[in-house]
Amino acid sequence: MHLLLSGAAKNSRERKMPNFFHIVVCAGIAPDPLQTLEPATGPNGPGIKNEMLLPAVLDPWAASALYEAAHLAASCAGSKVWLVSLGPKAKLQQLMMTVAQKASFELIAIDGPIGGFTDAHATASVLAGAISAIAGLDKTKLLLFGGWESATRGAGVALQLTGELLGIADQFQGVDRVEMSDDGSFEVLERVEGGKHLASNCGGAPAVLGWATGNLPEPRNNPQVGMANMRTMMPALQKAKTAALDPNGLRYISVSLPSRQRSTRVVKDLNPDEIARELVEWIGAE
Amino acid sequence: MESILVLTHCDETGAALSKGSLEAVTAAHELAARLGEALSIGIVGSKAESAAQSVASAGARVLSVSGEAFTQPRFASDAAACTAICRAAQPTLVLAPHSSRFGRVMAAVAYRLGGKIDTHIASIGGTEGIEASRWLYRQRIEAVLTRTSRPWFLLMDGGIHEPWSGEAAVPHAEQLAVELPAFRTRFVGFRSPDQGGAGTIRPEAKLLFVAGAGWTKKQPDGQIRAAEAGDLILQFLRLSAASLGSSKSLVDQGGDGNAVLPFLNHLNQVGQTGSTPRHPKGLATCCHGEEPHVVGWRFIGERRAISLDPNCGWTRGKADVVYIADAFQVMARLNALLAKSGS
Amino acid sequence: MSSEVQRPATDVDIACVGFGPAMGGFLTTLTRAWDENPADPAFESKIAPGMPLQVICYERADDLAAGVSGVVTRARGIRASFPALDPTEIPMAAAISQERILYLLDPIGASRRSFILRVADFLLRPVTRNHAFELPWTPPFLRKHDGLILSIGQFNQWVASQIMASGIAQIWPGMPVGSPIFADDADKPAVLGVRLADQGVDKHGEPADGFLPGMDVNARLTVVGDGPVGAVGRALSKRFKRGEEHDWALGMKMVIELPENTELEPGTVWHTFGFPEPEIFGFLYVHPDRLASVGIFVPSSLGDPERTAYRYLQLFIQHPVLWQYLKDGTLRSWGAKSLAESGKTGEPILSGDGFARIGEGSGSTNMLTNSGVDEAWTTGAQLGEAVLELLRAGLPFTQENLAGTYEKRRRESWVESGAQRAEHARNGFHHGFVRGMIGMAVAGLSAGRFSLKSGAPPAHKQIRPFTAGDKSGSTLQQAAAQATAENRPLHDALLSARGWPEIPLDGRLLITQQDALLLGGKVQAMPGFADHVQFLDRNLCSSCFEKTCIAMCSGQAITAGPEGLPAFEREKCVHCGACLWNCAQSSDGEHGNIEFRAGSGGLHSAEN
Repeated sequence: MHLLLSGAAKNSRERKMPNFFHIVVCAGIAPDPLQTLEPATGPNGPGIKNEMLLPAVLDPWAASALYEAAHLAASCAGSKVWLVSLGPKAKLQQLMMTVAQKASFELIAIDGPIGGFTDAHATASVLAGAISAIAGLDKTKLLLFGGWESATRGAGVALQLTGELLGIADQFQGVDRVEMSDDGSFEVLERVEGGKHLASNCGGAPAVLGWATGNLPEPRNNPQVGMANMRTMMPALQKAKTAALDPNGLRYISVSLPSRQRSTRVVKDLNPDEIARELVEWIGAE
Repeated sequence: MESILVLTHCDETGAALSKGSLEAVTAAHELAARLGEALSIGIVGSKAESAAQSVASAGARVLSVSGEAFTQPRFASDAAACTAICRAAQPTLVLAPHSSRFGRVMAAVAYRLGGKIDTHIASIGGTEGIEASRWLYRQRIEAVLTRTSRPWFLLMDGGIHEPWSGEAAVPHAEQLAVELPAFRTRFVGFRSPDQGGAGTIRPEAKLLFVAGAGWTKKQPDGQIRAAEAGDLILQFLRLSAASLGSSKSLVDQGGDGNAVLPFLNHLNQVGQTGSTPRHPKGLATCCHGEEPHVVGWRFIGERRAISLDPNCGWTRGKADVVYIADAFQVMARLNALLAKSGS
Repeated sequence: MSSEVQRPATDVDIACVGFGPAMGGFLTTLTRAWDENPADPAFESKIAPGMPLQVICYERADDLAAGVSGVVTRARGIRASFPALDPTEIPMAAAISQERILYLLDPIGASRRSFILRVADFLLRPVTRNHAFELPWTPPFLRKHDGLILSIGQFNQWVASQIMASGIAQIWPGMPVGSPIFADDADKPAVLGVRLADQGVDKHGEPADGFLPGMDVNARLTVVGDGPVGAVGRALSKRFKRGEEHDWALGMKMVIELPENTELEPGTVWHTFGFPEPEIFGFLYVHPDRLASVGIFVPSSLGDPERTAYRYLQLFIQHPVLWQYLKDGTLRSWGAKSLAESGKTGEPILSGDGFARIGEGSGSTNMLTNSGVDEAWTTGAQLGEAVLELLRAGLPFTQENLAGTYEKRRRESWVESGAQRAEHARNGFHHGFVRGMIGMAVAGLSAGRFSLKSGAPPAHKQIRPFTAGDKSGSTLQQAAAQATAENRPLHDALLSARGWPEIPLDGRLLITQQDALLLGGKVQAMPGFADHVQFLDRNLCSSCFEKTCIAMCSGQAITAGPEGLPAFEREKCVHCGACLWNCAQSSDGEHGNIEFRAGSGGLHSAEN
């Protein structure tokens, strides 16, 4: 997350905007990216072995969405940020110990299954239901944020469907930047093929933004932010409703961890000229 | 009894189908042939009828949605177009390329048709039913799945099937009228990344060149030669038309006040939270080859590495050939040879 | 860390530093009372009237499950807090089913054994199996028969979940605490709170992008449970000098997934000594689901300047009596930590105005029974009881009041009596392995009545310097040449030169140290923190020949840099603290030349 902001972009972010937004961020749980993962099949279908034991993080691109949301809310007075997260309650509690130190938000916790093997349609249905029930949510001001694709299922489906279920007609995916104008309209940059971005202009909320990495560095852990969040967080976790996820006819025939072990030739006795020649030949060969 | 529709869209020119679309047509044609079922092709784009010529040889029913509103990607218009085509074709199975354009809308379209969707599909097989295979957990776990729901939408990943190629002809394309809402989103333009490394990411390249953290660390002679490293890498990219990837540690180094390669940004990151590109060959340099990074090499064919560490991860089953050598020296000579041969 | 900068500040009732077994005991005790009667006036905050007591705990590790520590315990204190404890509730926990003590002989012949020991080996050989002699009986002082095998990471997380769910205490991971805030004008030990580590600084600690000065947390009571190498505890020890922390060990372990057909049962406990070097104690504990924790302790009394842990651990697991069960296993996790082994001799001031110390950093570990977790937990629970007593009586947290409640409870408990029995149990090791074992046995069997009353020299003096003879000797020269030629560290080459076999790397269980860091420990550090390992007087480093810090760094974060100066890579540090007591130089005659400060990072493995 080290793309530098251009000077102009930075200025517009620091101006206080007259419009406010209700930003709802959907973020799931993913295993800490450094963990070694193994699939295991249980009575409810496939999952990751020991997933409940492994250190977990907020899904990385969804976390970017949360930080962007907090940043946007800070520059648009009157805005509010909610974080909607579906996962096992105990895991959500652990997660919040870190996430709550990074941004201010109101938590909507949903006690549900963990993992990327669940059906995205079921997840979307639960999320849309929870969002519709948020007291005080102004749908005309709604920006639905989340990760474009998760680090677990990686489908890019759940957020899109949630937006569709909520009747939002403008969706953007693979977002790296959003720039607000005074009238509430905004320009969005979405990742497209070839390492480029597609720039579009949207008239305003409501809209769905599925983020990629965005521009902001990960906020520092700040226990003051955490302590302020705790007041609403613990009650939210305690009264989290349980949600079952309907498989919706999805059936896994097999899950495997293909081990690609090659027999490696380790070359220690060639000098750089000889290596370069060998490489030129290899690169050119079909 | 299934009926298969493949949805396609035009490329930036508006007059030809995108490469991913042509690959999806191949996949759909194969599936239709295997199942002995009919195939329809839907096309979305500003000049959809002219794009349709390239797939006339598939012998399928062609439905198109064309016009100004469909020139550039936009959720509202693309979703409406695809939905209209689906309603007209009434398919049980819908294939489409997993491009950014269709990835943006297809889940919503599936919902509007009362169907279900699975994305990033690598292949469709199965003897009795229809089995789709895809990767989860950032390409670490391969899953084969199936659904009973219909219509079932499958977004196909690119670079796996051959693009459809057949005699161009003018097909009979049914033009569909689409009722469009007032748009609140309009296309502005395409942008290249800020750093001016313009075009270091080349999905079509035959070779992926990965730069690891070792390029900007202290070398055995105690010096940091970041500028020289940058020059060598950029020169190699120019001469070989390779695509540039990076390990997470190198991309992150900018944040810790270490020397950086200014043309690298997080879009170049391969593995971990970065991308999993597809290239026939990959060359890793100054990189340890640890598992979280190598996971991003899942779809790289032949692999070679240059490292000073004879115990690095690449030497243990992750690469085909590892040269224990100083990458600065090897790359300088490699560049010289490439320049001479004019390739 | 400067104090001229504008710092955010907050007020809490109780600030806690570090979350481990001791803090778990403390916060569980408070939480229990809160759950039983939330209306208890004890729980009224004095700094935020109308709110409940503000109890905030700050932990350096990014995840509470990332702890690594001793994993076999009699669990008396733990069971007192959880009377209905069922091991199956805690992931990776098992009740002890079998205990063995094994003396390991050296099948390779490279270890350095005294003549007496060689004679003993010769005499024992006929009654060994797989080059190991099993003691026919476990001495009472070592027995843990009714205890538990635990993963400390999973145990900590299990405890923390319950604490957090109750709502009275907050635990913030990823939040290293830089230093205590001393009351400068007090004429006795007094602490006003703690200062968190600065963020958004460069490696030297100077403000950089996104500078966030560490918050000052003002507290009525600061509870310090940050372990033997924690920055706050060490700052307190330095300021209010008492206790000599001269004895240390580095515990390094692997968690291994055993082969499918394994015969080892969960609850199996082995204690070993004798291999790879006689002084290196080792262990094997078997968890459920075919997981085993296997590790060694490399003590400061092992004077070899090129002592090291990782390769010794790899050699240890290949000892025939272990390898028969471990080969074909897979490395799941790895970690290391320093253990404070000075016991009562190293005990610091336990409380002062506004602060109290619990756990391993307060000298609670019993070096005779080799147990620390239970003792740490119990001291935490004792402080919890004391704090409840003071809160209910409306008394302030003064030194007298804390001494009269916490210290009194501690002194009257089995923790203290055990510590007294253990006080001199290990002194003999400073005169050699055999004397050490005899001394320990005598102390153990006589319950401390008889022991060797000699002190331990400071850690830097325990490292035998290379003599001129060593330096010109063939082994050292051969090793140095090999080290340069093959670009490997000196300590590694020296082990090879002495006859230790190269490790047959298999990419699965026997892997390089860097791979263990990345695959087993998953170590990483957050950006924006300063280098937390500091080399104080660079001249001492340039002239140092031993460079034991490099040999003993668990993560190979300290390496040889240019001009004889060491280089430190923060991202590789597992925060074991070995560098603190493995420096062969000293400017003040007491402490080494390396400072271990508060910083970010460390293990991300949840199975330790």
